[in-house]
Amino acid sequence: MGNNSQVARKKAMTAQIVKLAWRNLWRNKIRTGIMLASMVFGLMGVVTMMGFLSGMYVSMIDNAIAWQTSHVQVQNKRYLEDPDINEVIVNPAALYSELDRLPQVSAYSARVVADGMVASARANRGIRINGVNVTDEAAVTPIAAHIEQGTWLPETGRYPVVVSQKTAERLRLSLGSKVVLTFSDVNKDVTGAAFRVRGIYRSPSSSFDDANLYVRQQELSKLAGVEGVHEIAVLLDASQSGDSFDNQGAELVAQALMKVSSTQNQIRDWQQVQPMLATIISQMGVSNGVILLIFVTAMGFGIINIMLMSVFERTREFGVLMAVGMVKSKVFLLILLESCLLGVTGAALGLLGSFAVIALLGQTGIPLGSMSEGLGAFGVDTTLYPVLKTGEYFGVFLIVVVASMLASLYPARQILKLRPVDAMSHKH
Amino acid sequence: MSIEISQLSKTYNQESDFPVHAVKSLDLTIEQGEFVAVMGPSGSGKTTLLNMIGGIDTPTSGSVLIDSENICELDDKALIAFRRDHVGFIFQDYSLLPVLTALENVEFVMQLQGLSEKVCRARASELLTMVGLGEQMHKVPSKLSGGQQQRVAVARALAPRPRFVMADEPTANLDAKSTSELLDIMQSLNEKEGTTFIFSTHDQRVIKRAKRVIVFEDGKLTEDKQQ
Repeated sequence: MGNNSQVARKKAMTAQIVKLAWRNLWRNKIRTGIMLASMVFGLMGVVTMMGFLSGMYVSMIDNAIAWQTSHVQVQNKRYLEDPDINEVIVNPAALYSELDRLPQVSAYSARVVADGMVASARANRGIRINGVNVTDEAAVTPIAAHIEQGTWLPETGRYPVVVSQKTAERLRLSLGSKVVLTFSDVNKDVTGAAFRVRGIYRSPSSSFDDANLYVRQQELSKLAGVEGVHEIAVLLDASQSGDSFDNQGAELVAQALMKVSSTQNQIRDWQQVQPMLATIISQMGVSNGVILLIFVTAMGFGIINIMLMSVFERTREFGVLMAVGMVKSKVFLLILLESCLLGVTGAALGLLGSFAVIALLGQTGIPLGSMSEGLGAFGVDTTLYPVLKTGEYFGVFLIVVVASMLASLYPARQILKLRPVDAMSHKH
Repeated sequence: MSIEISQLSKTYNQESDFPVHAVKSLDLTIEQGEFVAVMGPSGSGKTTLLNMIGGIDTPTSGSVLIDSENICELDDKALIAFRRDHVGFIFQDYSLLPVLTALENVEFVMQLQGLSEKVCRARASELLTMVGLGEQMHKVPSKLSGGQQQRVAVARALAPRPRFVMADEPTANLDAKSTSELLDIMQSLNEKEGTTFIFSTHDQRVIKRAKRVIVFEDGKLTEDKQQ
C-alpha cells in the first residue's frame, strides 16, 4: 500500500514536471514556433529527398529485375566464363520440373542467346540476340506491354524480330524493315538470316535497349544448330519475392534449384547476377543516413541555441527551484523534457507533412524531364514515385527526438553546475 | 527549534587582492517563533546571512546549528532536503513560476516533498484562502498584482510547513496597502502556527512590526533589540 502510494506520488511529480516542461516550451511562442517551423520544413525536405532517392533505387532495382535479371537465373558455369554458343544448360528438364513444382515461381523463360550483329541497309551494330519462347518471355518480362510500334513476336510467320526503339533509330528501321542477323553457329561458322521487324519496344533502360533484340527461339536454335538453352530466367510470385530490396525469396528458390541441378550449372539470385544492385541497396542506407545526419546536426545546433537562450534567461528561476528543494536530477529532467517535447512535436509535424507530400507524389509521380535521358542509362523510369517504409519514418522520428534530447545536455550542464545562490543572483 | 549561529563569516573573492567580507565572525541565536527583522544598508550582508541560514549559500567559516545540527556540513543532497522540508523562502521579486497558476505554484513545493495530490491541493487551497486569494487561485502570476503575487509567495513558503521562513526584502516592491496586508498575514501566521520569520529589510513599516530587530553594518551585528 505504502509502495503504491509512493509510486503514485512519483508519477504525479513526473506528470507535473512534464506539464511544466510543456508550458515552458510555449513561454516564447514565436521562438518555439520558428524553431518548429524550421524543423518541420527541414524534415519535409529531407524525408522527401530520402523518399525520392529510395524511389529512384526502387525503380532501378524493379526495372533491372523485370527486364534483365529476373529473380533467379540459371546458366552453364562455362557459359558465364566464356559465352560460347555450345555451352548450354545441363539437364534443363530437371530444372523445369522443379520450377513447375515450386509454388513461389510465377513464370520462367528459357532462352537461347547469341552474340552477333544486326545490319540494315544503312548501318550495322553488335547485339545480343535473345531467342525466346513467345509466351514464356511475355510472362517473365514486361516486354509485350512495352511495344511502342507493331506487336510482340507472333507465334506464326517467317523470321519476325522485335528491336528496341534505339536500335530502330540507329539502323533507321521501321515496322516491316528487313534486317540481317549474323552470328556464330555451334561449329564456329558464321551464319545468319534476314528477319522482318514486327515490333519496336522501349524499356526503361537505354543501355539494355542498346544491346538486346528478340527472335523466336526455334528459329535461332535452328540457325545456330543449338540443342538446348543458354539461360533460364525465373520470376517469383509478387507475394513471395518480398519488397524491392529483399533477396530472401530468390535465395530460397535458388537453393531449391541447386538440389536438382547438375553441378555444371550455375544458379544465381538477382543480387548475384548484378552485384551492382546489392551495392545500390547498401549504398542507399548510407546516402539516406548522410542526408539525415546533415539535417539532424543542423537541427541539433538550432535546438542547442534555442535551449541555451531559453535556459539562460531562466537561470534565476532554476536557482529558485533548487532553493525550494528541487533536486538537480529533476531540474535536469525538466530541461531534457523541454527539448524532448520540442523534438517530438517537430518530428511528428514534420513527418506528418512528409507523409502527406510523399503520399501525394506517390500518386502523381515526379517527371524527371531532361534528367530522364541520363538516368535512363541506369534503368530509372521517366517518372519517379518517392517511397519510404513505415520503419524509416519511425527511424527518422527516433533520431530527431534523440538528437533533440542530446542537444539539451550542454545547456542543462551549464545550469546544473551552478549553486542555487549563484543561479539566483543571475540577472537577465 | 532554534538557530544558533557561531563565528559565521563569508568572504567573496577570497583569492583576489580585494576580498569582500560580507559577514564577519557573527554570533547570533534565534529562537522558535520569533519575528525578526534584519536591517542595514545595502551591501551590509543581510541577504548573505539569510542565504547561509537558509542553506542556499555556504559560509567561509563558522557554523549554523539548527536543532544542534550544523547545516554547513551537510552534503548537497541533505541540504536540498533540509531546504525543501524546513525552510520557506520569500523573495523580493516573488519568483513564482510564471507558467503555473497560483494554486499550482503552491502545490509544486509540496509535490517536491512527495505529498499526495489530494493533500497538496487541500493545503494549497487553504493557504491561498488564508492569504485572501481564494478567488484568484486559478490565475497565473501575470494576472495578479504585485501584492497578490507576494501573497502567493507567502503561501508557497508556508506550504511545506517549514520551521522558519526567510524573507529577503519581501515588501520592497509593494505599496503601503499591500505591505500592511502582507505583514498582517505573516504576523498572524507567526502567532497562530509559531513559524519563525526572518526578514531582511530597509522598510521602516516592517521594522516597526518586528518583535526583534537586528542591525547589520559592514558585515557585523551592531545592534540587537527586542521590541
